[in-house]
Amino acid sequence: MTMLLSVKDITKSWGGNRVLDRISFEMKADTIGLVGPNGAGKSTLLNIIAGIIRADRGEVYISGRNVTALSAQQLVRIGLTKTNQIPRPFRTLTVRENLEVFSGLRGRADVESILHMTGLYEYRDIYPQALPFGHLKRLELAKALACNPGIVLLDEPLGGLSSNEAKTLIKTLKDIRKSGVSMIVVEHRLWELFSLVDEVVALDRGKKIFQGTPEQFQADRAVAEAYIGGTEG
Amino acid sequence: MYVKLNGLIYSAVIILAMLLFSKLVSSPFLTLSLVLATIYMGLAMAWDFSSGLTGYINFGVSFFFGIGAFLTGFLSFVHHIPIGLTILADLALGISTGALFSVPTLRLRGPFFTLLSLLLPYIASSFILSFWTVLGLPTIGYYNIGRLAPSTFDELVLVSLFDLIILATLYALYRSHFGLVLRSIRDDEEAALNLGIRTFRYKALAFSIAAGVMAAMGGAYSSVSTFAGIDAFGLTFLLFPMLIAIVGGVKRILGSVPASYLVIVLSQYLNLYIGSATLVVFATLAIALVLITQPMFLQTFLRRRIKFE
Repeated sequence: MTMLLSVKDITKSWGGNRVLDRISFEMKADTIGLVGPNGAGKSTLLNIIAGIIRADRGEVYISGRNVTALSAQQLVRIGLTKTNQIPRPFRTLTVRENLEVFSGLRGRADVESILHMTGLYEYRDIYPQALPFGHLKRLELAKALACNPGIVLLDEPLGGLSSNEAKTLIKTLKDIRKSGVSMIVVEHRLWELFSLVDEVVALDRGKKIFQGTPEQFQADRAVAEAYIGGTEG
Repeated sequence: MYVKLNGLIYSAVIILAMLLFSKLVSSPFLTLSLVLATIYMGLAMAWDFSSGLTGYINFGVSFFFGIGAFLTGFLSFVHHIPIGLTILADLALGISTGALFSVPTLRLRGPFFTLLSLLLPYIASSFILSFWTVLGLPTIGYYNIGRLAPSTFDELVLVSLFDLIILATLYALYRSHFGLVLRSIRDDEEAALNLGIRTFRYKALAFSIAAGVMAAMGGAYSSVSTFAGIDAFGLTFLLFPMLIAIVGGVKRILGSVPASYLVIVLSQYLNLYIGSATLVVFATLAIALVLITQPMFLQTFLRRRIKFE
């Protein structure tokens, strides 16, 4: 069964600055994009959902269960994992060992399949410092998959990748979606993102300004003004 | 010549070769030096297992060593319990004390754990000094402790066997999923935490196992020297194990085996010939060795001829 997530009235302030203001949305599709200009609060929201930081107010639900009070470790065990924007591999472990660390947290993960799926199989016995950046991004994704997740939160998975690398990673993400894993993807590269997601949530300065399909997103005037600084005509 | 050997077998061969060497040379001084080397080997492997693998530097080695030495002294001197049993009691005391200390301290990040562990031997030695002063006893500590075996060579055999058990156990843990998690903690604990690893449990368990080994080695030491005194809490039992682990190659466990023989036997002979200047000369040599050759020194050197698996 596909795991879906919803957030209700999430509010967060840093030093008197409100970075998230009563954000609510419900995943209607199994893959959604979370977009917005820099400073919109996307990564903060992702960290709150993942249990890494606490919201001042509001709730997070996974398949109807209130998980607001759960820690990141508990959330991983019920099926929610997050990747980092900047890859954080374990440098003294091989690629395979980087995955094996997490195997068993939520059932036994099929490490070999994950290595094949993410295109890392031929690099399985080398150390991460020998990998190019694009492969480190893949390793970040593979680590999250090794936790056997139902939902993966991806923080800018395409950041720093060439267009070819991005295209290959999008294909991998589509394969992952087919295997029944839901995704929330924070991304700035909208055209590539739109080829992956069925639904988009847009934030601007801590407020939700849009939720709908990628097509509706492109036609929305308010989004265009907030996101790319206004439209012509 | 290129020989492919399993690292564990290779280390066991070194230990057995040293036993044979001691038997052939038949020098009481060399045998005693090798006994000391095997005791330090246990301490170094335990330190490397908990601190080398996790990156949490434990300066409390001499605390656990000291409480083991004193418990063996107490049980042997006061209750005449056989040394084999007292060492088991040391192991249990070390594990439980290690677990007790882990609960409040290993939740702390950064240097706080290290600083608190540094206080442990000072607290223990102050407590023992006050206790003996209140009792008004002339000698601080226990003497006439029962010996592990009738001869020094037999003691060397027994401590070497004990080291082999520790080596096999710690190495198996190092190669297991448990060891992988410890290494991931050293690399990036926050990343491990955020992906669901309950790092505290792993750190606490590693620290407690290491503390148990350290206490057992303290028991063995007091039995070999037939005395458990306040010096068991001294810096020597912190600095040498750390130095051995660094010379042998931190995070490798096995490197402590050749390094302990090299460091301890060398320091014992230096002490024999140049007396109190040993510490200065030895410290200079050790620093130079580490600075010039990097921490991987011994293993890198040995890898040129022997491939570890």
